[in-house]
Amino acid sequence: MAMMASSKSAVSKPAIVPPAKTAWRFRMPNRERLLGLGTIAGFLLIWQMVYTLGFMPKWAFPSPWQVVLAFRDLILNGVLLTNTAASVGRQITGVALAALVGIPAGLIMGASPTVRAAFLPLCRLLYPIPGIAWIPLAILWFGIGFTSTVFVIFFSGIWSIMFNTMTGVQTLSGQYTEVAKVYLASRRLYTWRILIPGSLPYIITGMRLTYGVGWRVIVGAEMISSITGLGFLIDDARWQLRPDIMICGMITIAMIGWVSENWFFDWVEKKTIERWGMKTV
Amino acid sequence: MVIIEGLNKKYGNQGAEVSALVDINLTIEEGEFICLLGPSGCGKSTLLKIVAGLIPATSGRMSIDGKLVDGPGPERAVVFQDYALFPWMTVRDNVEFGLQARGRSVKERREVSERLLKIVGLADFANRFPHHLSGGMKQRVSIARALAVDPSLLLMDEPFGALDAQTRETLQDELLRIWREYKKTVIFVTHSIEEALYLSDRIVVMTARPGRIKQIVTIEEPRPRDMTSETMGRLQREVRAVLGEEINRAAALEQADMMAGA
Repeated sequence: MAMMASSKSAVSKPAIVPPAKTAWRFRMPNRERLLGLGTIAGFLLIWQMVYTLGFMPKWAFPSPWQVVLAFRDLILNGVLLTNTAASVGRQITGVALAALVGIPAGLIMGASPTVRAAFLPLCRLLYPIPGIAWIPLAILWFGIGFTSTVFVIFFSGIWSIMFNTMTGVQTLSGQYTEVAKVYLASRRLYTWRILIPGSLPYIITGMRLTYGVGWRVIVGAEMISSITGLGFLIDDARWQLRPDIMICGMITIAMIGWVSENWFFDWVEKKTIERWGMKTV
Repeated sequence: MVIIEGLNKKYGNQGAEVSALVDINLTIEEGEFICLLGPSGCGKSTLLKIVAGLIPATSGRMSIDGKLVDGPGPERAVVFQDYALFPWMTVRDNVEFGLQARGRSVKERREVSERLLKIVGLADFANRFPHHLSGGMKQRVSIARALAVDPSLLLMDEPFGALDAQTRETLQDELLRIWREYKKTVIFVTHSIEEALYLSDRIVVMTARPGRIKQIVTIEEPRPRDMTSETMGRLQREVRAVLGEEINRAAALEQADMMAGA
């Protein structure tokens, strides 16, 4: 968590050592951080006021405190944990499959104009189909549960990683290829030591997008085609008239999405392209 | 020995062909230091890339040590102007790349890279990544990478063009030292008359588009050369006169192109 707090400030200057664990807690929050936190506090305040002043019916609009209480219950009875685990498991499986297929496909499409000419039109045609639109077909093919959700995540997410990897290969400096030719590098060595690391800035961006798309589509998929997961938790709360549980589910999704999208991929970038001086932004 | 006979290079499709190189004939002796000198756009880098096997010639023959070549080979290594180091590899891995491509053992690679990094004065930087290094240091790594595969022919494409004057002079001396010590044949592309005079046994002066060999100037002055000496002064004036014509012609061609484009 300490790393998370300092990750943003360290992005532009990799040389800065992250502050020691004890230091961050007592550090004066800077202006930007205060502004951000202030707005979130203001949002909570308005939420509470809408509840208190009765602008919305009480049975459909919980107070922030009711949500906190619901959180406590869901954590204590284990419902939150099991459903989160189910969603995260599907997400990781779907994204991993998208990467496993999308990265090699992107590499080949980037490297070979023939393959690109053959497959790009089809991919462009499939790409605009929203992930949610695949759900009914997925249920017909795989039934309700793990497989159909993973399928939907896979099909929504694969395009970002594939197109980005392809662009990464296409924009890789031709000079690296010349060096590989001069030193008679095999195709295998060329792929592993030049093509993949050279396209890594794009591959990481692609993975970020794929992950984001997957996490955004999972809720819809689970509402329709699942009996576990955070999407199911939210949808199921509708039948119990428990808007507080719905909001718990939404906050959990936001937190996990935020932590993994920012923290995990920032960490990967720090270990690779930032260390190599290849990060341009 | 490198023999180039009747080499031509044309770009573009039939009907809209542009000649880059016309009738290049050149014989380079073992251990010779040759500079290709010419105005920008004269095709000297193209010629170097053809010798490297990176691009094919349209016609003509080239042989190295009696063998006809039409692609890259283990006896040649290239040093590029903008270093072309892999940013994701450490200095050591960059130097070892050619050996890795040849399937040498880790132990052997390590020995070679350590020795060469010492020679180019970067032994302490083996584990750094290229973006930590200055331009001069990067070019040293690039030279070490080329030497690692022990080529008999070293091809250098304006290797010091992007460096400041002082670094450039230091590296020129280091290059000469390495050249003497390792007995390499060097083909060195430059647009600097001083650099060509300081380094080479023979200067191949090329014409503006299309590139032809205009004149070959032999320099017999012993090294290290005193650029202020009478002989060097005379040679400098001579080469400058030959090249000056071509630079003017190149400028006129460029202007004509712009007028035609507008």
